[in-house]
Amino acid sequence: MSGTHRQRMALGRSALVALLLLWSLGPMLWQLYTSLRSADALLLGSAGLGGGWTLANYTDVLSGDPPFWRYMLNSTVVGALSTLFTLALAIPCAYALSRRGGLLRLLVGGGLLAAAVFPYVLLFLALLEVARQLGLANNLLALSLPYAGLSLPLAVLLLQAAFAELPVELEENALLEGFSLLQRLRWILLPLMGPAVASTGLLVFLFSWNEFPIALTWLSRSELLTLAPAMARIAGSSVFTVPYGAFAAATVLGSLPLLALLLLFQRQIVAGLTQGAIKG
Amino acid sequence: MSALLLMAPALLLLLAVFVWPLLDYAWLSLQAQSVFTGLQPEPVGLANWQRLLADGRFWQDAGQTLRFAVVSVGLELVLGLGFALLLHQRWRGRGVVRTLTLLPWALPTTVMALGWRWIFNDPNGPINALLQSLGLASVPFLASPQLAWQTTVLADVWKTTPFVALLLLAGLQMIPADLYEAFALEGGSPWQSLWRVTLPLLRPYIFIVLLFRLAQALGVFDLVVVLTGGGPASSTESLAVYAYLNAMRFLDFGYSATVMLGMFVLLLISSAGLLLLQRRVQVRA
Amino acid sequence: MTTPTTISTTTAAAPASLRLENLGRRIGDRAILDGVNLAVAPGECLALLGPSGCGKSTVLRLIAGLDAPDAGRILLDGDDITERPPARRQVAMVFQSYALYPHLSVARNLSLGMEVRGVPRGERDREVATVLQLLQLAEMGQRRPAELSGGQRQRVALARALLRRPRVFLLDEPMSNLDAQLREELRPQLRAILCGGSAPVVYVTHDQQEAMGIADRIAVLQDGRVQQCGTPQELYQAPANLIVAGFIGRPQINLLPQPDGTVLGLRPEHLVAVTEGGLPVRVLSREWHGASQQLLVASPQGELRWTCAGNLSIGAELRLGWAREHEHRFVQTTGQRC
Repeated sequence: MSGTHRQRMALGRSALVALLLLWSLGPMLWQLYTSLRSADALLLGSAGLGGGWTLANYTDVLSGDPPFWRYMLNSTVVGALSTLFTLALAIPCAYALSRRGGLLRLLVGGGLLAAAVFPYVLLFLALLEVARQLGLANNLLALSLPYAGLSLPLAVLLLQAAFAELPVELEENALLEGFSLLQRLRWILLPLMGPAVASTGLLVFLFSWNEFPIALTWLSRSELLTLAPAMARIAGSSVFTVPYGAFAAATVLGSLPLLALLLLFQRQIVAGLTQGAIKG
Repeated sequence: MSALLLMAPALLLLLAVFVWPLLDYAWLSLQAQSVFTGLQPEPVGLANWQRLLADGRFWQDAGQTLRFAVVSVGLELVLGLGFALLLHQRWRGRGVVRTLTLLPWALPTTVMALGWRWIFNDPNGPINALLQSLGLASVPFLASPQLAWQTTVLADVWKTTPFVALLLLAGLQMIPADLYEAFALEGGSPWQSLWRVTLPLLRPYIFIVLLFRLAQALGVFDLVVVLTGGGPASSTESLAVYAYLNAMRFLDFGYSATVMLGMFVLLLISSAGLLLLQRRVQVRA
Repeated sequence: MTTPTTISTTTAAAPASLRLENLGRRIGDRAILDGVNLAVAPGECLALLGPSGCGKSTVLRLIAGLDAPDAGRILLDGDDITERPPARRQVAMVFQSYALYPHLSVARNLSLGMEVRGVPRGERDREVATVLQLLQLAEMGQRRPAELSGGQRQRVALARALLRRPRVFLLDEPMSNLDAQLREELRPQLRAILCGGSAPVVYVTHDQQEAMGIADRIAVLQDGRVQQCGTPQELYQAPANLIVAGFIGRPQINLLPQPDGTVLGLRPEHLVAVTEGGLPVRVLSREWHGASQQLLVASPQGELRWTCAGNLSIGAELRLGWAREHEHRFVQTTGQRC
């Protein structure tokens, strides 16, 4: 009696999991399918699965002007730079915040939370003006500065939660042993925060890889475009005549690095976000 | 003192990126700076603000944005809770599925928006192809105002539900299992335990999710720009898109800044409303 | 397990003495420490004994420089080190949790501090090998702290502290994470290591047996003040007040309020059965401890604890007496010995 009940429960759950996977992956799998079909096969609908398979969409996209990998390279450069900047600024700040109590912590912590929630799209116009005045437009290095700034609130909050979780005696013992602040960070604290630093870095990378409005307004030279504005430019060119196979190939290519990162660091991301939620 | 020194670089960049723009907008909203002024700022007092109050398109977009935010965040919350409950149970392969469900959240909005455009394409997209093969008429998903709006909501829900689910999952993991066991021993059904145990204890997490997601949804931009371009007939235009158009297409920077600030005020009001609601719920509980 | 001569090579060369003068520490309007005066001679081990929250760990943290006093001075060999940053005090501390760096091997845990202080590689390796040998950890060098037993972890923490060549040796409840049996086993070893050096040792504990077993002198701390400081014998034989009397000696001393405004203190082990005189008592309950019996008896002056060598059953009635020199008398109002 209870055996069949349990079996039925397990069956129901499997069905739900299948639905969940279909919902999450279906659209992406459809992109993958589309990207491998010839234009004719797509327009003729579901006419036969036997023929019409092709890699032409990929070769088209990769041999465009500029080739698609150029956008991905730009996005990677900006992502790496902004991750580096963010961590370099956020780690000392988070450390100081975690070691302080009282009003300062409350004020800075509250400000950071508000900034982390803030829809940054509101800021693009003023940031564009800064870029124009300082001549920072069309410069990938400069673009990573606002990215670092926008990522800082969440990064500091996540890292300071991780600092606060380390037993304070570890650092105190290092202090008594004559370690300087830099040595304590280098040898004791940061090695113990590996997962938190990795997940924070990954979130920053994701953000800058995906960021749209600022990249859209700061970058105009097509060989400097990052992935998001490049996609929008493709989309904006024309709605109905655009070859969707090439579209799909682009979306697959643009998603692959993130898929790889997500699979590599799945544990850290989940742990990092979970921790952030609990502390936040 | 040294603590402030360590924080200074980060705080300076934060001020430059978050505070400076708002001050800049406050100043800019009191200027006319457009093609009519040769793109030079000219003080005009409150003219921009008067225009904002009388601007039908601003208020229409405000309504659309708010409706979009409330509906999509509401759907994300319900769906996300379902995901979280499912992913919280123990079963084989749970870890992999957790990662795979995160994928939509990790992908660039612009990339997937492009994907949705193909999926909802009329008449060649897979959905319409399916409808046609069933002998039904194809549906102009992105060409009808109502359907375009619903498609936008669907794309947003698809993209951000994993994030909501992840945060709620974190909350579920904080609820000790013996609470459920005690409740079951007292004869509570699983459905009752959801309402009497899970949801009350999850409330702080739900609140954080709501706060974060509402603010983000009110600023919806990427999705609209790529999926519908704000159309048809600006029926899916959000406030952020309107502000963007004012600056980049109409080159009216003074008014664009005013729209941004107007949006900021609406954001503050909604956040305050949410805080009050949370307080009320807390007092009642 | 070790000899003092081998140990002295790894501790400070010059003998040091530690003095705390009138130390005060407040948090908000609560006084954690209120005028603490203590002196520890070179090579002497002083136990700070008190209940949790009495401020004994704060004393250690002030000596180490991890916390700053609101009043008073800390002198090391006559130098005022009150304002000196912790890194320059040359103090070693064994933390209650041992604070071993979990991501590093035992050998790395021991050598990293020397590396940071600029000790050359060859010397580091030699010193680590010596101290590992000394503390019977020779095989453990490549293990991570998580792979060690509690007792081994404690020895690694001790080894690390020894390698600091400290001018003052601080230990914060180093036994509290070990089980009772291990604690008793380790006590003589710990005493041998601590007493071998020439640095003053301050040992914080809440366990009076441990304090008596390890320390040369004990300072009983309560309410932020030193209640009494002396050898274990002095504290046992002449407790300065009711607090010290209650803290030193197990089972706890019997305290009987007298009509003349004093309190009479009688240790359970000093009571003897007498045929006449003394107090008439009746046995209420008993715990059998093998060599002795721990009894709770009812007397006209209240209930008494009595450690008795004989074998009595519950309900037995007899008379208890004591020798005059075993009486402790305290003033009821102040608690001071009179």
